[in-house]
Amino acid sequence: MNLPPVDYAANRGWYPVAASADAVAGHVVAGRLWGSDLVIWRDDNGAVNVWPDRCLHRGVRLSLGTNTGTELVCRYHGWRYATVAGSCTYIPAHPDNAPAQSMCTSTLPVHEYAGLVWTTLDGAPGSVAVGTSPEPFPVEHDVNDHAGSAAVPLWAMTVNVGTGTLEVELDGLRKALTKLVGAEVAVVLQPVDPDAVVVRPLAVGEAAPAVDVSALDAAAELLSAFARRIESGAGANGDYDGNSRRSATEARGYGQVSPHGRTVSTGLLDVEVVAKWETADGIVAFEFLPVEGAPPLPAVQPGAHIDVHMTADLLRPYSLTNGPGDTAYRIGVKREPDSRGGSAAMHDFVTVGDRLTISHPRNTFPLRRDADHTLLIAGGIGVTPLLAMAQTLAATGAGFELHYFVRGPGHVAFADVIQTLGPHAVVHHGLDPAGTGEELASLLAEPGFGRQVYACGPGPMLDAIRATARSAGWPDDTVHFEYFQNPNDLDLDSTFEIALSRTARTFTVPAGETILDVLRTNGVAVEASCEQGACGTCVVPLLDGRADHQDVYLSDTQKATQDRIAVCVSRAETERLVLEL
Amino acid sequence: MSGIRLYDYELSVNCYKQRLLLSILGLDYERVPVDFFPGREHQGDTFRRINPLGHIPVLDDNGYVVWDATAISIYLATGYDDSGRWYPVADPRRLGRVASWMAFAEGTTNTASAARLHDTLGYDFDIDACRRGARDLFRHLDRHLWLGELEGRRWLVDGDHPTIADLAVFPDAMLAPQGGVSLTPYPAIRRWTDRVKDIPGFVVMAGIYPH
Repeated sequence: MNLPPVDYAANRGWYPVAASADAVAGHVVAGRLWGSDLVIWRDDNGAVNVWPDRCLHRGVRLSLGTNTGTELVCRYHGWRYATVAGSCTYIPAHPDNAPAQSMCTSTLPVHEYAGLVWTTLDGAPGSVAVGTSPEPFPVEHDVNDHAGSAAVPLWAMTVNVGTGTLEVELDGLRKALTKLVGAEVAVVLQPVDPDAVVVRPLAVGEAAPAVDVSALDAAAELLSAFARRIESGAGANGDYDGNSRRSATEARGYGQVSPHGRTVSTGLLDVEVVAKWETADGIVAFEFLPVEGAPPLPAVQPGAHIDVHMTADLLRPYSLTNGPGDTAYRIGVKREPDSRGGSAAMHDFVTVGDRLTISHPRNTFPLRRDADHTLLIAGGIGVTPLLAMAQTLAATGAGFELHYFVRGPGHVAFADVIQTLGPHAVVHHGLDPAGTGEELASLLAEPGFGRQVYACGPGPMLDAIRATARSAGWPDDTVHFEYFQNPNDLDLDSTFEIALSRTARTFTVPAGETILDVLRTNGVAVEASCEQGACGTCVVPLLDGRADHQDVYLSDTQKATQDRIAVCVSRAETERLVLEL
Repeated sequence: MSGIRLYDYELSVNCYKQRLLLSILGLDYERVPVDFFPGREHQGDTFRRINPLGHIPVLDDNGYVVWDATAISIYLATGYDDSGRWYPVADPRRLGRVASWMAFAEGTTNTASAARLHDTLGYDFDIDACRRGARDLFRHLDRHLWLGELEGRRWLVDGDHPTIADLAVFPDAMLAPQGGVSLTPYPAIRRWTDRVKDIPGFVVMAGIYPH
């Protein structure tokens, strides 16, 4: 077997960065390849992540952080990054805000093969089909003939090559190891710095070779002796110093690291429907995965929703029910009797295998994770965002209750998820409005420090919760709502002026048109979704003037502060509003 | 003054080893801060009446004074751990192994932690020799722990319970990056330090985070 020369001039191709056995559950591995520090961690579903070893926030090494099984938490300020997608899902210093989708770490392609975790800095596609070898495989090709499980990694060691000649020595090492362990040995190299390399011997065979511990120990001793010999010829500059060395790769810039996880846009995603099932009377659930060849779906924050684009001008928002660590999206769609085409089309025409266009997830209903106790109150299909919240809180061991109000037992959607919440979830069947009111009064009887309420359901129920919470003394910034629609009658009669502070433009909003209409007419881009004052997507900072708030997204306190406005429905009480646009 | 007193410096690995053991054994004690840096109080005449060698840590247990990190750990683990698991005096073979790894810890203290003193407090050591020595020792430690995992051994010494040897080597390894010795090449060491951090009663110090 011949080994290819160690080519330090190029960093192309796939290289190992850890043994699969190094990346154990709940653990974080620090790795290094071509001068780049990497953090390597396995989630509870078995997927391995390889990312640059630094937090987007302050550059601290993520390898000092905590692997929760679904997220990697930075040690410094607690930023949480989702597995697979690498998006930041939560910033403890801003518990009320949803991190922007653009806060996403680079994710490197990962492949597990021959007992090793492989990656490439080439910006290659996100994954390699299971059962095939990464190309080019930096050992002679016959290793590729064996299945991935048919290799047993021996002890691996960083060797400081210095100016020594490693290639000449490796074949001798391979032969000696082969003799020692009684199985064919291949030697795979992981270049870490211009003068250091991790030597990773693998015992390979048709089936995984059985190597006893004493042979493994002897092989490790042989490798140590090999390294001592190489290093003694390498001179004083042969020291490995992963902390301070500025390698040639670093000098070329960190941007060498594959940026494919950083292609964040607010554009659209193409997904495939991989499952569709009736989860309750009149409610159909869908599961989406990215279409073949597309990168993983962006991570989901609890409370987030997507817009499903039914046709060019028909889009419908649906909350994601995802728990932490899920890499598929799941939604629930209730058939609305007066459907204008959205829910009926989803029920009747969309089937498994179909492709759909959806928006990136957007979170206008963010969950605080610093509460001592969280009360989740769902009415009917409003349970969907609260399921995502409940699973997040359950995963962190936080105190919470989910109260789910339904018409009858047949109307419980996602009963399997509810089941996993155990005593945290309580389903209330068939209560009339009076009975529901009594139950809400008892649930909301005790406002308290560190308690938060999240509610989603039909408008009248949310109005009842708002009134009950207010009379029980809950501060209104502790009670959070997500409305399906704005039940208010909109008053579009006023005429007023808007001034845009950033672009120094002034427009008149006439009666019958909204601020959003006027902005669009004049080519000012503002993101909007429901366009009826329910979702909060179009809220912009208000710098001067008093708004005539007509939305149901902002709390009373937020409205009274007069520092932001939902431009799709709200208008002006004063003659002029100054918007930060 | 009765009870246990520890003459202590927050940033000292050898003092931290004792704080770790005292906490894990659930013992109450009084910390007597010694101005190791910049005051060099441990080298002064007053402190030399407590320890003629002028080293910290020193333990004073109701008037019985014992100095040296290894000596203090042995004294505490023998005198205050009824289970005998932290220092297995009844099992000569395991005890021999514990003693070997305590000696290993002297080695990591004199290399990895010396490099740290050089880099953080400006001590005049041969930094290249310190780092080279540390890497040799960590390479051996990584191999020992890697093989141990294959054999079902979670700690430095065989048996299902950690010993004072784990606590003696642990801080030198954890703080090695402060002396310019990266732990990236030793993944098995990192997994073992995670296990040490999971021991009930574990306490942190500056630079050593919880698991």
